[in-house]
Amino acid sequence: MAALQRPALPFPRNVPKPGGARGWLIGAVALVIVIALVQVNQFSRLTSTGYEIESLRRERDTKAAENHKLEAEVGRLSSLARVDMEARTRLKMEPAQRRLYISVNQPVPERRALPTRYLAPQDAPAVPADNAGRSLWQRLVDLLPF
Amino acid sequence: MFGQRGRMNLRLYALAAAFAVAGALLTARIAYVQLVDVGHYKQEARAEHFGQQEVRAPRGAILDRNGYPLATTVDAWDIFIDRSDWQDIAAARTAADAIAPVIGRKPEDLVNEVRAEASGLYLAYSGLAFDEGERLQGVEAPGLRVVRTEKRYWPEGDLASTLIGFVGRDHGGLTGIEADFDAQLGGSPGTIYFERDSIGNRIALGKERYGREPQPGGDIRLTIDRYVQRLVEGELEARIASTGALGGTIIVMEPQTGAILAMASRPGFRLSQLDFNDPDEGLFRNRAVTDVYEPGSVFKTLTAAMAIDTGHVTPESTYDDIGAAYIGESTIRNWDYSVNGVTTVTQVLQRSLNTGAVWLAQEVGADAFYQYLRAFGIGEPTHSGLGGEPGGLLRTNEDPLWADVDLATNSFGQGVAATPLQVITAIASLVNGGRLMRPYIVEQEITATGTRTFEPVVVRQVVSEETAHTVADMMNLVVEGIPGHLASVRGYHVGGKTGTTTGATLADGAVLDGNIASFVGFAPANDPRMIMLVKLDFKEDRLGGQVSAPVFGALAPSILAYLGVRPEGSQLVSTSR
Repeated sequence: MAALQRPALPFPRNVPKPGGARGWLIGAVALVIVIALVQVNQFSRLTSTGYEIESLRRERDTKAAENHKLEAEVGRLSSLARVDMEARTRLKMEPAQRRLYISVNQPVPERRALPTRYLAPQDAPAVPADNAGRSLWQRLVDLLPF
Repeated sequence: MFGQRGRMNLRLYALAAAFAVAGALLTARIAYVQLVDVGHYKQEARAEHFGQQEVRAPRGAILDRNGYPLATTVDAWDIFIDRSDWQDIAAARTAADAIAPVIGRKPEDLVNEVRAEASGLYLAYSGLAFDEGERLQGVEAPGLRVVRTEKRYWPEGDLASTLIGFVGRDHGGLTGIEADFDAQLGGSPGTIYFERDSIGNRIALGKERYGREPQPGGDIRLTIDRYVQRLVEGELEARIASTGALGGTIIVMEPQTGAILAMASRPGFRLSQLDFNDPDEGLFRNRAVTDVYEPGSVFKTLTAAMAIDTGHVTPESTYDDIGAAYIGESTIRNWDYSVNGVTTVTQVLQRSLNTGAVWLAQEVGADAFYQYLRAFGIGEPTHSGLGGEPGGLLRTNEDPLWADVDLATNSFGQGVAATPLQVITAIASLVNGGRLMRPYIVEQEITATGTRTFEPVVVRQVVSEETAHTVADMMNLVVEGIPGHLASVRGYHVGGKTGTTTGATLADGAVLDGNIASFVGFAPANDPRMIMLVKLDFKEDRLGGQVSAPVFGALAPSILAYLGVRPEGSQLVSTSR
């Protein structure tokens, strides 16, 4: 009972009342900081992604340029002028003076046109139809009985 | 007191009202800017903040009929130097030492040329190889600007140069196929947006996005066969060199389809040595398509076909050749001033008699003669798709200035002008059952969205199939009926007709009394796989049978063998199973 009669202790002045203005202020500042950090993080990731996209685009352009260069090189190496020069100089061949005919009972082999940028890749290894392009999780989900 | 206070209140009210009105106007303006006209201001702000640049689409390739590239595009770099950054001589020398060896220049020359002006961009090298340009991008050199571009590359060298043509500095086609099919080859450019700073310079790591992706140009597959083209060009150059001709044209065509297998003309230009500063612009054209000439006696085949088709004569019909034809006050004689007496229609072609051609034309009559000529495509473009093709010059009896002598001279190919392409197209109809085909040189357009194939087009049936076969047989007799004819080919039956034109204007007007020697031949005679026109230009007198027919005789065996036509009596050494 004595304890009940003891006067109530004064509320400490330096502790902010819950729900007081200072609490809201701290909360707001914390929220702003969190939002700012999230935004900074997002911008950082965005910039990194942008840089990555740009790098990949450059890499794609470089590969395309190399592809064009290789196509041109193949064209140059298969040019009639070069074949003629190689035949005459390296292989010491001369133009035929007499023609002999051999009947070949085989179809003419199909040659692939150059450049090939509009043709579907024909030499790519075949990928099995099932599981092709499906993630591990999708495949696990597929194992469920329902 | 009250009055003073009342005046004060009034002033305050007025001031408040003024503020209120101003505030309202401002608010209205803000609302207008932010809500109503938002699109316009957004666009202005974006334009201020973002730069826009056109991205060129990769140009398509020009392929021969088997898919071998005749012209293709490789990536390259243009090297620029900002002159203002090289005003400091020490910095300029350091940069020049790094750049000059890569672009094959002397550093000191580069420094002097760049510093000749105080500002602006100096193009140090155009079309630097891709690898070299990439290496140069890593070089720390003030003022260096490396700009991505592309350049045309011709794997077959200067083959078919006048036909293919070339592109300009803006990569647009200027002549030949490059110009005629520029829309298909060029694709459509894209747009790229990039962030820029307050003075408009691009921010190195700023935002960048495509407004519109560039659509690459399509490939053009020609009917030209690089092997036949090379044979033809080699032979043409060799004959020009050995005979002293001023120039010439050779066209090889598939008579059944109108597909052009080879087309060469000289003088021409070398793609590998193009000089845009050359004042002689006349060189940059495909003379096989753009230049007209008097076809001469090869026209007699058309005149004979008309006379047979109308039923006036047969190959055995005769006339009495007295060596001259009198048309009003004009006298027309045979090219060799010969008098042949009773002569058949076949002999008219074999001996190439002008008087005989006049007789045949008179039998046909002017109205029918010109209707037939029109039907053969003389006097109108062939619509082959090649640019710069004229209709030719043909004066018919509907023209008030026309005279009877015009019919006489037109009958043997004089007083009328046509392009080599028109002439071979007309005569090809006689070895194709009388069907006039539209000549074509583009077989396919291959784009990312699909392939468009051009099919052969029959323009019209000019003469009956029977007439065509008859005339083709007569042309066979023109070659094989004359022993030792220079167009004859061992192992193959061929047909043809010579032509010689005198008084021709040649070499772009430099020669006014020139001579054109021509020959049109086809083989094999029973089932023609190819027809060829050979035309050589001379300052002095030459005959088609002497200089042009041998060109056919030299080329035909190689072309026929390449096309898989086996000569009769050839030795078959073995057969695979």
